[in-house]
Amino acid sequence: MKRIMIDHEKCDGCKNCSIACMQAHRETEGTVYDLDLTDPRNESRNYILKDADGHYRPLFCRHCDEPKCVEACMSGALSKDPKSGHVFYDETRCGSCFMCVMNCPYGVLKPDTVSKTKVIKCDFCVNAGEGPSCVASCPKQAIYVEEV
Amino acid sequence: MKYVIIGAGVAGIEAAKTIRKRDGAGEILIVSADTHVHSRCMLHKFIAGERDEQGLDFSEKDFFSKYNVEWKKGVRVEKVCPHTKEIQLDNGEEISYDKLLLAQGADSFIPPVGELRKASNVYGLRNLSDAQAIVKEAETAENVLVIGSGLVGLDAAYGLLERGKKITIVEMVDQILPVQLDAHGAEAYQKLFENAGVRFVLGRKASEAVCEPDGKIHKVTLDNGEELACDLLIVAAGVRPALACLEGSGIDCDRGVTVDASMKTSQEDVYAAGDITGLSGIWPNATDQGHVAGENMCGAAESYTDTYAIKNTINFFGLVTLCVGRIKTEEGDQIQIKEDKTQYKRVILKDGKVEGILLQGDISNSGTWQYLIKNKIDISGINKDIFDINFADFYQVKEDGGYQWR
Ligand SMILES: Cc1cc2nc3c(=O)[nH]c(=O)nc-3n(C[C@H](O)[C@H](O)[C@H](O)COP(=O)(O)OP(=O)(O)OC[C@H]3O[C@@H](n4cnc5c(N)ncnc54)[C@H](O)[C@@H]3O)c2cc1C
Ligand code: SF4
Ligand code: SF4
Ligand code: SF4
Repeated sequence: MKRIMIDHEKCDGCKNCSIACMQAHRETEGTVYDLDLTDPRNESRNYILKDADGHYRPLFCRHCDEPKCVEACMSGALSKDPKSGHVFYDETRCGSCFMCVMNCPYGVLKPDTVSKTKVIKCDFCVNAGEGPSCVASCPKQAIYVEEV
Repeated sequence: MKYVIIGAGVAGIEAAKTIRKRDGAGEILIVSADTHVHSRCMLHKFIAGERDEQGLDFSEKDFFSKYNVEWKKGVRVEKVCPHTKEIQLDNGEEISYDKLLLAQGADSFIPPVGELRKASNVYGLRNLSDAQAIVKEAETAENVLVIGSGLVGLDAAYGLLERGKKITIVEMVDQILPVQLDAHGAEAYQKLFENAGVRFVLGRKASEAVCEPDGKIHKVTLDNGEELACDLLIVAAGVRPALACLEGSGIDCDRGVTVDASMKTSQEDVYAAGDITGLSGIWPNATDQGHVAGENMCGAAESYTDTYAIKNTINFFGLVTLCVGRIKTEEGDQIQIKEDKTQYKRVILKDGKVEGILLQGDISNSGTWQYLIKNKIDISGINKDIFDINFADFYQVKEDGGYQWR
């Protein structure tokens, strides 16, 4: 399985990855230069967290081997793809219960801000072309893809 | 090897899948009263008319053919005989097994008040068949009375609102959702339901209900004498593990079927998983138990270890809530609250550890709370606003890129 590896010591908190993720999932046409960062419909699937000492800690879905989010999913919307190993979300099946949000031990998931009917979840950029947009945008190589 | 599974809920389905992955050749049979594989958590969507039967299916596409599982649906198991390794169905059929999984879930509990148990217009909400019957009764019913304001009672009301019914909900204690929420958090949902037209009668019990000549209850009398008119009643007063078919089987039961950590019962080659065990009443745990049972039925040595089950999420009218751990405060607690227009957060701390969390309005990235609570992590050393504590404070990345709690 391909996983986004994290070298957190290299992260300097620029959040290019988060902007790239928002851009890759925006509903409107356009380039990153006209991406509306204040539009709540544009949400990142990754997060740059800070610990109590101010260190940056990138939070990215691990597409876990035994995904706790999938275990909690009562609709079949979340599933681990046997081919790629990635954990995918099918919005059309989702029942909007958010048990998955509660059950991800790292706090990766959230309900969408506007409608509270969908889950904001990393899809490994399967619909955005050339692999993870976040990885391509990181100037520090703090995140990179590896076969694990 | 012949594996027989009673129940086509998530515990049964997950076990079948797990068994097939380990044993390519064995015979797997699921027997269920259900005629459709369905998620009970979405029954309100069926009642509302938002989804049909197929839309409630949580299993993988073509599950039964894909995993080569046989399914006898619409039949009830009436007897389980571990000594002869057989089960008996209500159609007279007898089926033998090598390994048996009990995954019958739970039944609605209808309290013995008046003639509630006898009337033809009184339903629980547990099975698709209940939801179908409710929809049918609702075609002619105008006034709906829901007894119990827990998640199931509110689910029923939520679904029926879409059908334009007049709904009254009676609750014994003086707030709604008493198991999940504090009074403040409950009030937010109460207002939303009231704005949608629901009437609540709190702090009251149904004390009398008599069938009329048509076999239905048309009014319920409360303990203060008030009478409530109704044509359809939904009783959401809790559930009980579905143990009826185990009578005389010699399988040890307490609140539910007693199991060890491998999900094995007191009888050889008989396992149990899901709500039937009484260990939990929520989806993630039923899935996990089904998985562990399936593994062990194939001779593996897995244990059910992630047993924590005091956890829930709620979503009505787009107001989302997460509640994990203790909800009632007690002496010696340290309470922290944060509230503004869009959210209400309350944490219960004791001796530096989080014992309960309630987040309402915004539950973004809140998965870490369950971990903190169930593992009794001491957070007193973290110099941060408590509501800002997140995985960064416990951050560790393993060699294979997976995360690990420090
Ligand atoms: C209205 C409602 C809303 C819910 N919402 C949520 C939620 O949002 N989040 C959450 O985590 N949980 C929720 N739950 C709880 C969740 O649905 C259960 O924990 C889960 O369904 C348990 O799965 P199970 O496989 O153990 O049992 P069940 O799903 O109950 O399945 C039992 C199976 O056994 C069959 N069966 C029973 N007796 C017999 C018999 N004698 N012979 C043959 N077959 C039999 C039934 O037909 C069924 O197929 C909800 C429950 C209800 C009722
Ligand atoms: S959402 Fe969480 S539990 Fe699910 S795969 Fe991603 S990291 Fe794992
Ligand atoms: S919110 Fe959707 S994806 Fe998440 S557990 Fe519920 S049904 Fe599954
Ligand atoms: S892989 Fe794509 S969806 Fe996932 S975090 Fe990176 S940019 Fe977002």
